[in-house]
Amino acid sequence: MSKTVRFAPRWWRGVALPLAAATFFLGTAHAAGKTYQPDSLFLIKPWISGTPAEASRFLAQTTFGPTDADIQRLVKLGYLSWLDDQFAAPPTRMLDYLGWVKGTLGEDLETNHVVEAWWLGALGGPDPGNNTLIHRDQLRQRVAFALSEIFVVSTKTTLIDQFPNGQAYYYDVLVNDAFGNFRQLLEDVTLSPAMGVYLNMLSNQRTDSTKNIHPDENYAREVNQLFTVGLVLLNQDGSPQLSGGQPIPTYTQNTVKAFAHVFTGWNWADCNPAAHNNFSDCDVNWTTGANMQQPMVAFANYHDNGTRTPDDLSGKQLLSYPGAVNGGLLVDGGTPQSDLKFALDNIFNHPNVGPFIGRQLIQRLVTSNPSPGYVQRVAAVFNDNGHGVRGDLKAVISAIVLDDEARNGAKNSPDSFGKLREPLLRMAHIWRAMGAQHRCGHNKVVTRSNGSVYTEHYSSQPYRYAGWYSAWSTDYLFNQRVMYANSVFNFFRPNFVPPGEMVLKNLFGPEFQITTDSQIADVTNDVLPRAMWLDIRDTCNSNDDYGNVAIDHLRDLALAGSGQGGPADPADRLVDAYNVRFMGGQMSTYMRTTLLNYLNRIDHYWGSSTQDWRIARIQRALYLIFTSPEYAIQK
Amino acid sequence: MNFDRRKFLCKTAHAALGASVYSALGNLQLVHAAAGGYSFSDYKALVCIFLYGGNDAFNMVVPTDNAHYAQYQTVRPKVALAQNTLLALNAPGSGAGSPGDGGTYGFHPAMTDLQTLFNQASSPVAIVANVGTLVQPVTKSQYQNGTAALPPQLFSHNDQQAYWQSSPPSNAPITGWGGRICDLIASANTSTLPMLNSLAGEDAFIRGDSGNNYIMNAGDAATIDIPDSWDTNPNNLKSVFDALRAAGTQANALERTYANQINHSVNTAAQINAAINATGMPKFDSFFPNISSSDVDRQLSTVAKLIWAANNGVAGYTGQKRQVFFVSTGGFDTHDRQLPIQPVLLGTLSRSMAGFYRALNSAGLASKATAFTASDFGRTLSCNDDGTDHGWGSHHLVVGGAVAGGRFYGDNASYTGTAAMPSLALSKSNPNDAGYGQIIPTTSVDQYAATLAGWFGLSASDLALIFPNLTNFSVKNLGFV
Repeated sequence: MSKTVRFAPRWWRGVALPLAAATFFLGTAHAAGKTYQPDSLFLIKPWISGTPAEASRFLAQTTFGPTDADIQRLVKLGYLSWLDDQFAAPPTRMLDYLGWVKGTLGEDLETNHVVEAWWLGALGGPDPGNNTLIHRDQLRQRVAFALSEIFVVSTKTTLIDQFPNGQAYYYDVLVNDAFGNFRQLLEDVTLSPAMGVYLNMLSNQRTDSTKNIHPDENYAREVNQLFTVGLVLLNQDGSPQLSGGQPIPTYTQNTVKAFAHVFTGWNWADCNPAAHNNFSDCDVNWTTGANMQQPMVAFANYHDNGTRTPDDLSGKQLLSYPGAVNGGLLVDGGTPQSDLKFALDNIFNHPNVGPFIGRQLIQRLVTSNPSPGYVQRVAAVFNDNGHGVRGDLKAVISAIVLDDEARNGAKNSPDSFGKLREPLLRMAHIWRAMGAQHRCGHNKVVTRSNGSVYTEHYSSQPYRYAGWYSAWSTDYLFNQRVMYANSVFNFFRPNFVPPGEMVLKNLFGPEFQITTDSQIADVTNDVLPRAMWLDIRDTCNSNDDYGNVAIDHLRDLALAGSGQGGPADPADRLVDAYNVRFMGGQMSTYMRTTLLNYLNRIDHYWGSSTQDWRIARIQRALYLIFTSPEYAIQK
Repeated sequence: MNFDRRKFLCKTAHAALGASVYSALGNLQLVHAAAGGYSFSDYKALVCIFLYGGNDAFNMVVPTDNAHYAQYQTVRPKVALAQNTLLALNAPGSGAGSPGDGGTYGFHPAMTDLQTLFNQASSPVAIVANVGTLVQPVTKSQYQNGTAALPPQLFSHNDQQAYWQSSPPSNAPITGWGGRICDLIASANTSTLPMLNSLAGEDAFIRGDSGNNYIMNAGDAATIDIPDSWDTNPNNLKSVFDALRAAGTQANALERTYANQINHSVNTAAQINAAINATGMPKFDSFFPNISSSDVDRQLSTVAKLIWAANNGVAGYTGQKRQVFFVSTGGFDTHDRQLPIQPVLLGTLSRSMAGFYRALNSAGLASKATAFTASDFGRTLSCNDDGTDHGWGSHHLVVGGAVAGGRFYGDNASYTGTAAMPSLALSKSNPNDAGYGQIIPTTSVDQYAATLAGWFGLSASDLALIFPNLTNFSVKNLGFV
């Protein structure tokens, strides 16, 4: 690795570190290169390692929930080398998992298998097909999940639901590009068949006035509105630019129309338009689904390049902004590929992208209400990673989680800092932190419609996170499951404001949008089985085909007490350990006292003379923490 | 009129004059402050059925006469329905209640249930033609020359959903007209239960100043279930759970908001569930043939039960004189494969709305509830190969015993009581076409909504409060209910 002394990369601006440490850093070598590469010297930075509580807060923002082991590891490594390590960790890919299910186990693929693959990435740990392979790419998975809530594709579209491999291919695009460049991510998303199906760019064709048809505007609109620049011009700190007191639109309907004409001529990779009357008659491969995992390809005859009168749109005016190449005017006569490149470059280089995407990633990882300065610092890194590269997501993610506001916001803005934990993140957290495993499933022979059979393997599969109730059907309880939003507007919107106090204080709370009166009851009730009832040592029910995921209560027995229980054998150690593990050490004195007053009295297991009474303490501590408003807000 | 009420009116009037109209309702306190004085002896319910995605009503209500059908077939050849499959509607051919263009119209072939109701004597089904988001009436030349005030971000799903539901959307946070109606007439209910129930999640329609709403599941209100029976400890699990959600114990605005949400849920759910399962509740589910698979059917059946509860002395509901319900169904964003998709969408909608009417009618309650459709926008009259794109104006359905059905409604330039079906001509020669197949609405959401709110019992001055742009339209009541 190069030891050439370089200027400090821009993602460091705003990062919280003592002056001496900053001096130390600035004098340190940094790798040259176009893409941010953390320096190996960062591996020893005693000044950047935190207390276990601080480490837990960091991990709540960067993983699917802190575990004791991860907290200890982070304290030892420090934030920077932890990030280094995460950037280097091999990606957990859904298609690999589906390959095991289909190839090794011989099962027919279903959307449930994609959900299992998602849990494997979210929970980490041993691979079900090869227990020696440990999935540990937590940051990549957390960021990919955040991206899946911006670049939304949903299995509520039937065709997508029918092709698990297409879902997995799409999610893997997000996983693969999470630490890459935003421009690449934008292109890979654009050309993925799942997105092509979801927002109708697939088989979109140039105007045919003989049929009175025009290009589909769906992808053209949403790629601008939701994925990149948004509706109104932004200052770099994320606030809207105003003219006469009113926001200024980023683009007009004519811009959308122009993009719609650019995004024409793309179809399934194996499409042969000559074999059909209509371009849209090319189809998914219903037998193999193979073209669901190949980028769309271009067919020039169906692409509007502005030259064929009267139907083509000549001189397409795309986004216009200072510095836009050719003022955003697409020159006629291009190929589908060159026009797409021009259009995606045009979008990517719009000054809105940094603050627009930066703010949303901050909201997904750290806080619902970043200060303008925080957004601006992250946007600046998006614009230039310090080496002249725009859109470097590694640098953007580092800037987000190392920012002073991410690290010290809870201290500095205790009333407003933080975000409501998404239901799936809460669920992943308790499973990760409590050693969850799948258990109690069976191997079951399934008969296909043509009479042939195959076997589903859910027996003795501790790392296959399956089961109707516990793993697959979270949408039913939580209004949330991976790639299952109601629309391209995700489960919730970045600017949602819940009723009451937050209205008066102008505070956003995106995740509150799915936190309805009934959902909050369902989420609360769900903690009962998850925290209290299901344990990996329970006797299995022979009726349960698919099993469920259960936690390991006994791992905390020693924390829960050493004697006979009751006030003489208090629960302090358990509550304090859970405070760090689950709540980043931020439990209020009121909550701690309230919990201890209750838990200290416990000295037997209700309804059972054989169960260790300490399990009752563990179950109740988990239940009360996971249903509490204080835990619900990640701070 | 008290001071706050005047202030509100003043702000509203000022806002309606210009571009700042979008902040007209920015101060959430104002409608609430203006509230009071309503009491009703009768019972009425408004039921908003929101069709997420933007319903293509140009294939829901389709010309059947040869001249108009030929235009329709030419303008959208790839998604046109066959003429001989359309379900004829027996509306007046001319004058009041007619489509207004001299043509005849039929429903999409999947809508047999609503056709039957539309064509029956004392019809409970009305069609309101070409409704959409407008600040003021707009002509094609005004639109194309940019000389009329327009709703912001036309053709965008969430912006137009917000406009439909809030009309107009203020600056964030938005209040909806469902929520604002409930703010104004809150005094009409003596019950402590919320006046407004959403069975379809959170959206702008239900948002008011007072938070007088409850968001529930399609079939019930979920209750928090704590196994306190396990635990005879006097300081038991439930009491500790309650202590941790208690007001005043959280130090962060988001925590307090979450705690309030739990408290609101706990305080309301049990009463709602008791009402749904009250003794003597009719078997309304049987009126919804798709209830096992259709979420909107589950929602509407539950709405029928809550309406029944309010009319049959069920505990907690005896003081409910006005109720507003928000239900929804999705999948209407038919950019692709519209012909195979639409029969499912519209067939379900037809069975659901007809089932709702028949359920209430079976209990003698049909005239007490008015159900109406709303949607992001209409779709383009022209097509993109096998689908249609985001449009603007759209036809809507109103169903209920109080509805003067079997007729077409809508505003037209010289109000004569006929509807104003838009031209079906190709874009260039179509006076209603904004330029690319998007049909400029001739009836505003405000007129549509104010007609419903007027039936609900709001005074003319309060309609002006809730719909600040209503003043820009000469016809304030479309007369369909």
